[in-house]
Amino acid sequence: MAENTTSAPQILPETDASPSNPSSDPSTEEQNPPVEHATQITEDTDISTLSAAQNLLELTSDVQRPLIAEIAPIDELRAEYENGSPSFVQQINYLQSQGYSSIRRTRGDGDCFYRSVAFAYVENLLHASDPVFAVVAALSTLEATPKLLESVGFERMVFEDFYEVLIELVKNVIAPDVSGSTLTDVALLERFQNPEVYLRMLTSAQIRLDPDNFAPFLFHPELGEPMEIREFCEHFVDAAGKEADHVQMTALSRILRINVDVAYLDGRGSSGQVDFVKFQPEETSGAAASSPISLLYRPGHYDILVGPRRQTAEF
Amino acid sequence: MASISSRRLSKELMEIKNDGCPVGINLVNADDFSTWLFTIEVMGDSLYQNEQFTLQFRFDQQYPISSPAVQFVVTEGRQAPVHPHVYSNGHICASILGNEWSPVLSVIAVCVTLQSMLASCKEKHRPIDNDRYVKHAPENPKKTRFHYDGEFTV
Repeated sequence: MAENTTSAPQILPETDASPSNPSSDPSTEEQNPPVEHATQITEDTDISTLSAAQNLLELTSDVQRPLIAEIAPIDELRAEYENGSPSFVQQINYLQSQGYSSIRRTRGDGDCFYRSVAFAYVENLLHASDPVFAVVAALSTLEATPKLLESVGFERMVFEDFYEVLIELVKNVIAPDVSGSTLTDVALLERFQNPEVYLRMLTSAQIRLDPDNFAPFLFHPELGEPMEIREFCEHFVDAAGKEADHVQMTALSRILRINVDVAYLDGRGSSGQVDFVKFQPEETSGAAASSPISLLYRPGHYDILVGPRRQTAEF
Repeated sequence: MASISSRRLSKELMEIKNDGCPVGINLVNADDFSTWLFTIEVMGDSLYQNEQFTLQFRFDQQYPISSPAVQFVVTEGRQAPVHPHVYSNGHICASILGNEWSPVLSVIAVCVTLQSMLASCKEKHRPIDNDRYVKHAPENPKKTRFHYDGEFTV
């Protein structure tokens, strides 16, 4: 993770190779073991005492963490902030007052936005008031996507395995699999392997398909310079582990036809309110229109926020 | 169920066998889903005329989610190309093999990228820290954390 943040990604002409200038100091793991931090960060660490983004990542990117965790009361999150960060506590209280009483934590490795959306997408189908309608609508959207990916130049070979994994999960919400069972919350957690890969590809395809809408917003996240569509997608959408920003979130919500609400927990402001950024494509599919996917953003990391509609079903 | 890597690699292999490799690239060995070998030559005008190199791909079970370990073979009389991003032990400093790896890339796409990296080379020399790196380099280049420098273009 660390090298991603310190190294400026390549900007090369389209037809060019993507080699990079080796610096005078490539280090090997043998030579340079990870730096020991002066203070040990543990589950009990008061997160508000750490500087925002990087430390949050350290705390959440551990490979021992599940990709997606069991649902947990938001009180657990509040407890992390109670010693010393009243503004975060106030914002968590606000979320709770709006009916957001639980979260699902995700592993913080740069794929957390895509992973969170993928999980919440299937989970929303599981808990839809009319699952058959919701699944049929989702399938009609998803089944149109392989053609879209091919139309922007992705080979079927590179995406079909990931596509099939997602389609199987969605179908299994209403149709029994080979073992005769339909999907449950528990089975979803167990079977949830790398669906973010296909969502990255969808995001990339949507940006490439709609240059008029996206081109004006494509900037290098560190250098701030405008980027060509293909270049932006290759470096900041297709590449594994690259975090999503507004452009990617807009694109994904459009191609999947889903509403995504992101609660920004930033500890700012004195009112204690939380700003929601809503990604609402014009076309939403079926039940997805009424049940947005809710995410909780803290600097550098996304978790799934469990909204009011779902409480009765969960507990 | 077959692992994700063997499912994907069997498709890639079938495509190579059906459609062949791009000009200058030839499959030498793909007997299993752990190690593949290719020969690679640069076509047309370049600093590498009449040179042929051997590229080795090693895959783990998580391919294509995790990147393949790719390097030039430097045994049995084979040399790594003299190039500012290629160490004399065959290790390659290229962002697509590291932090910009994407599952949308394939083995052939990597070969073509490296072929074009060689084709566009302006001056044959080793990376400036070659000796020091080679002395301490891990056996598997994926264990090296290369620093990529965005200012460099070939």
